[in-house]
Amino acid sequence: MSEMDCEHVLEMVWGYLDGEVSEEEYLGIQVHISKCADCGPRYQFQRRLMVLVEQKCREGPVPEALKRRLFRLLEE
Amino acid sequence: MLQAAGSFYCLVMGVHALAREAPLPAHTDREQFEQLVEQHLNGLFGAALRLTRNRTSAEDLLQETFFRAWRSFHTFRPGTNARAWLYRILMNAYIDLYRKASREPEIVDQDDVDEFYLYSKVQESDQYKRAGNPEEAFLETLLDADVKAALESLPETFRAVVILADIEEFSYKEIAEILDIPIGTVMSRLHRGRRQLQVALWEYARRARYVGADTQPPQRESRRDRPSAGGGR
Ligand SMILES: [Zn+2]
Repeated sequence: MSEMDCEHVLEMVWGYLDGEVSEEEYLGIQVHISKCADCGPRYQFQRRLMVLVEQKCREGPVPEALKRRLFRLLEE
Repeated sequence: MLQAAGSFYCLVMGVHALAREAPLPAHTDREQFEQLVEQHLNGLFGAALRLTRNRTSAEDLLQETFFRAWRSFHTFRPGTNARAWLYRILMNAYIDLYRKASREPEIVDQDDVDEFYLYSKVQESDQYKRAGNPEEAFLETLLDADVKAALESLPETFRAVVILADIEEFSYKEIAEILDIPIGTVMSRLHRGRRQLQVALWEYARRARYVGADTQPPQRESRRDRPSAGGGR
């Protein structure tokens, strides 16, 4: 596998984190970011950020009253 | 008249007629429907909240989604992607109910902002540089309310894709199907949406905790115009 350059690796950040790159690409990036002091921390931050957005924007369960109201619609 | 066309034709017509008259599904269908929807109700409600940005509208949207899903349940094929099917109904209902109401100007673009906007901002900030791990220090300052508000400040075209990808964790292909747009469009909206989200997050963090008082003072007006706060067009 040929060495990837930083520019390419940084361009691929979303595809990589979303699991939307080919396996070969994935492995190449993985090797690169484990060694590169520029790309590694950037990837790590982006991943932390995505996890945080997901956690903080997730809502609790649907209010019970609303749920009952919905299922009552089916009885009509 | 139908007989003249042969029995095969009759059969096909019969099936179609049945499908068309199915809007009152049977009792067993109701149980299946309830089971199927119940698993996804919390996620749908969360997405509805982030889309509509208020609780009353979110409840209305969820109810409309629920009703539409029930009405078209006979078209749902068991074994196919139920979750994507439900979110597609949600997105269409959202567009029908709310998009007409407020036409947002298409896209305040932030092409001068790169994918690592937030990382760079944190690295440059004297306040965070003092911390042993500036990135962690920054992320710890973000409150739930900041992150929700930042997401809700995105133009709705971007917001929808970011919600589906980052909160509901659909694949690009699923999002393309849910929104009925090409995968390339999903990707470009998602990438731009995430860039804008970073700009908004930085603004919210700064506003809340007066991070690096180096730029303009906080502006308090319309939340909806906010994503442009960090940079020009
Ligand atoms: Zn690198």
